[in-house]
Amino acid sequence: MTSTINWRHLLLWAVFLGGLALMPQFVTRGTLRTFIFANYLAIFAMSWDVLSGRTGYVSFGHPFLIGIGAYTSAILSYRFHVPVGWSIPIAVATTMIGGTLFFLPALRIRGSYFALVTLAFMELMYQLVQVIRPDLTGGTRGISGVQTLLRGAVNNYYLSLGLMGVIAILLWSMMRTRLGTALSAIGMNEEAVEGSGLNTTKLKLFAFMVGAAVAGIGGAFYVHYLGSIAPRALFDVNFLFTIIVAALLGGASTIIGPMLGAFFLTFLLEYLRPLLPGAERYFIYGLIALLLYMYEPRGLYELFHRGRARIFGGRA
Amino acid sequence: MTQILIQGLLLSGLYALIAIGFTMIFSVGRVLNLAYGAYLMLGGYTYFWVAQTMHMPKPIGIAAAIGIGALAGVAMHRLIVRPLHSDPVAVEISTLILAVIIQAGIVLVFNDAPKVLHPIVDGVWRVGGATVTFNILTATVASWVILFALYHFVRKTHVGRAISAVSMDIKGAALSGVNPDRINMITWAISGALGAIAGVFFASYTQLSPSMWVSPLIIAVAVVIVGGIGSIIGTLIVAHIIGFMEIISTTLIAAELRGVFTMLLIIVVLVLLPRGLFGRGEL
Repeated sequence: MTSTINWRHLLLWAVFLGGLALMPQFVTRGTLRTFIFANYLAIFAMSWDVLSGRTGYVSFGHPFLIGIGAYTSAILSYRFHVPVGWSIPIAVATTMIGGTLFFLPALRIRGSYFALVTLAFMELMYQLVQVIRPDLTGGTRGISGVQTLLRGAVNNYYLSLGLMGVIAILLWSMMRTRLGTALSAIGMNEEAVEGSGLNTTKLKLFAFMVGAAVAGIGGAFYVHYLGSIAPRALFDVNFLFTIIVAALLGGASTIIGPMLGAFFLTFLLEYLRPLLPGAERYFIYGLIALLLYMYEPRGLYELFHRGRARIFGGRA
Repeated sequence: MTQILIQGLLLSGLYALIAIGFTMIFSVGRVLNLAYGAYLMLGGYTYFWVAQTMHMPKPIGIAAAIGIGALAGVAMHRLIVRPLHSDPVAVEISTLILAVIIQAGIVLVFNDAPKVLHPIVDGVWRVGGATVTFNILTATVASWVILFALYHFVRKTHVGRAISAVSMDIKGAALSGVNPDRINMITWAISGALGAIAGVFFASYTQLSPSMWVSPLIIAVAVVIVGGIGSIIGTLIVAHIIGFMEIISTTLIAAELRGVFTMLLIIVVLVLLPRGLFGRGEL
């Protein structure tokens, strides 16, 4: 698993990100907006993957973390007029504290129970946001008119692409170290990792913190891109579904996988729009997601690998 | 005070009925069915279509709902759980995706406007300053009857005992000549039917909407976590704890706090007593 980073990897990254950077030259503003959403979804999916895809602690409450980031930054900048340069770092720090809350149950439980408690976290947040201090959170209606960072689709596209690129490369380099190997090993067999003399508690805490930080960054920037926030749009099973499915469809435990999944899902939804205007779209989209997942749980990444192996030979 | 007592009892009965089908799958199949809420939705909408759109008698509507629920359960077992070899994480994720698909399907067929069910049984009963509709009273009584029948089914009949054997030890059950796969399928069918009938009552208590599957799922999850898995009696007790907690918090503190204490209870119990109050050692 651990291997050195060579020039070929760097070249592939440069081609991938460079290709995306040229997009505004070729596509319309509307498509660019779709790309922006895909970039943010990729950030969320990568953050889910650090926390759940690797360690095997499946979280069903990821919107909880994203929501903390988004709400903290939105409230600070909208209600207290804190400059965005301060509100976003504070939001990320708050999200990391939220990540520790996630971590506490993970000390004692795993598997289905962990998934359930995180689901409970998300629902708790959904209800609390509407009840506690609605003057701050805007209650059910949320907050609109949050300060946006940049104007125009092109600028926002480069911001989201830059964020995604930096996060992807940082996570990718981190996962190529022994640390990444240890995290994946926890997902395979936690007792064995512990038996090898590694402190799994520290490793898990680290993974949760990184995952939470990425979720916080994504959430905070996303709210400053959208300019509005509402509880039902955020703490929602459909949103959770999109994140998890993006990560899993692309291929969990890889960096490129969740990005791939995010782009695939976003554009699938977008291309189905003219063909199927209403709810049929979600029906088809869910069906495709389910079939792909049942057919290849390791995702598109694995399918590409296998396809390549079949054509060029090599790794089966 | 009387009002809290009555309302709490009624709500708790309904919650027990909602939770029992979910618990059964968790205990026998050892997987979480996140599409469980969709059974309730399917049941509610089937009843709505048969009884209110087609104007057929109400018992036919309930029977149709039960049939559709059982069918959905069997289909889920055959098409999703078995091909995935009951891998818990894969089943959780696929059933979550399935729930979203069913939600979209419901929007497709019935559009996404909420629908109100006519009460299954008309009339009200005034007692001690509280008003109790016969509808919710029927739901509670039906839920007790169903739970009682289920308890005896599991204890007394051959299939029921096989179900509890599989929930204890799959290999042991297989060695005693029980086919775990068949028992699993039967359990999924029962769970679907229970979910669907709970859905009819739940929908007549609140209303039908394509997103109605989330809150009963959360209730079922809460009951399973707090109660520990597998026991019908445990489910009944915990359903009362949660039901009363909700009624007390809504009447005495604030109506908006309805679900907050339930969530807090889930989190506290999971962190302090991961096996639940009456749990068994499966983690």
